[in-house]
Amino acid sequence: MAAVLRPIALVALVLGGWELLARSGLVSRLLVPSLASIGWELWHLAIRPESLGEAWQSLHRALAGFGLAAAVGVTIGVLMGRSALAAAFFNPLFAGTYPIPKIALLPIFIFAFGIGSLSKVLLVFLECLYPIAVTTYAGSRAVNRVLLWSALNMGASPATVLWRIVVPATAPYIFAGFRIALPIAMIVVIITEMISSADGLGYLAMYALASLKTDRMLAVVVVIALLGLALDRLLVALRDRLVFWEKLESYYAE
Amino acid sequence: MSRHPRLVALALLLALVGLWQIVSLGDRPDFILPPTEVASHVLTAIASGELLPHMAASLTRSLPGFALGSLIGITLGLLAGVARGFAQAVSPAVFLTYPVPKIVFLPLFMLWFGIGDVSKILIIALACFYPCFINAYYGARSTPTIMVWSALNMGARPLAVFRKVVLPSALPLVLAGLRVSLALSFILLFSTEMINARSGLGFLIRQSEANLRFDLMYVSIVAVAVLGYVSDRLLLFARHRLLAWQDAASA
Repeated sequence: MAAVLRPIALVALVLGGWELLARSGLVSRLLVPSLASIGWELWHLAIRPESLGEAWQSLHRALAGFGLAAAVGVTIGVLMGRSALAAAFFNPLFAGTYPIPKIALLPIFIFAFGIGSLSKVLLVFLECLYPIAVTTYAGSRAVNRVLLWSALNMGASPATVLWRIVVPATAPYIFAGFRIALPIAMIVVIITEMISSADGLGYLAMYALASLKTDRMLAVVVVIALLGLALDRLLVALRDRLVFWEKLESYYAE
Repeated sequence: MSRHPRLVALALLLALVGLWQIVSLGDRPDFILPPTEVASHVLTAIASGELLPHMAASLTRSLPGFALGSLIGITLGLLAGVARGFAQAVSPAVFLTYPVPKIVFLPLFMLWFGIGDVSKILIIALACFYPCFINAYYGARSTPTIMVWSALNMGARPLAVFRKVVLPSALPLVLAGLRVSLALSFILLFSTEMINARSGLGFLIRQSEANLRFDLMYVSIVAVAVLGYVSDRLLLFARHRLLAWQDAASA
């Protein structure tokens, strides 16, 4: 019982403290707007088609970049795990450029691909590619050899081995990589929209701040937060569906 | 071929830079500079004092933010790992907000703490908190029960158990969390500087982009890459020293 009550109590405490601060008159409404006005703005965001369009804009950029990174990253990761040549080529490449913040390339991407969606999607792709490729690589290297030998011994072709054994055995790792990459996709989309954009939720938040509509800005923040949370839940549900045979001991599993 | 990974990496790097140089010899758009020019621009920018002050400004934001966030994250994470009541209260909130992109709080922080360094440092700290907390939590929680029992059985006090058993056992995961936080701190540093700042590498990149100073833009991108790479290497080096016992045990 305490396990359920304690987190709820914490949330209630935080929200109650916020509302108390907002209503006390000690701080300006511009700094801490009341929950009611945030809720009102949230309602407005939810019923207006334009704001839903902004949310869709951000979402489709994040998902396009992430999807691209998932396809390319898994391919490269499996290739690295199954071929020494591919590993010798890609491994130093990934290891060397992993710690470099790719966000610094944004200006070059803007010059090369325009300030529209393309430069943002490609930056999301680049940031997401690394965790997906690296975790897939780790997973496909850890495939049980006995399974591979058995399959080969029973006459399976390399393609069958790859599809029937390597990919399923790597799936838990692939999803672990996805789970690291998806929040990164959201971060990069919001950042790029804050820096240079005329649409999307990141832009909306900065615009609301510039027009001193703190309650609207906080409503956008809530939307972004819920979106990030929903995407993560969706991914976990998908993983539990697809990789039902294995409960991965992940850092981030609850 | 894979027997000399460093050699392969070096050859690959040289090949890529060479390819870039050859490609940029032909017809190229203004915003693509050949590596030789970039290198000479880097030297000029260092000599003229255009680069180093911005690098210093960036570091005075990222290092305090990283230190603050990871220190709080590791402390609370370890605490949650050993104290069940505390974990029940705090960890659902942490796990629930973990997938939320922390950068969304930047406008709010700008409003609360001004547009100066404080809001940037705090947003970096917030982002660094999460990986450190989660890793420290799992690190402490996965301490083998038998070791804790043995230590208690031999008369160790709870504090000694924490210091001598839990801490070393959690260390590998804690360091893994630190590495993720370090990378995140740079992403947030440069994006906050790109969004609003009057100094720092992110600002330099944006300013030189706006002024079409492509030389300076490349110089700052190179500086960003060097900062990210060097700090990661330093952390890996520290991990190697700290976890020497682990390597020896598994070898």
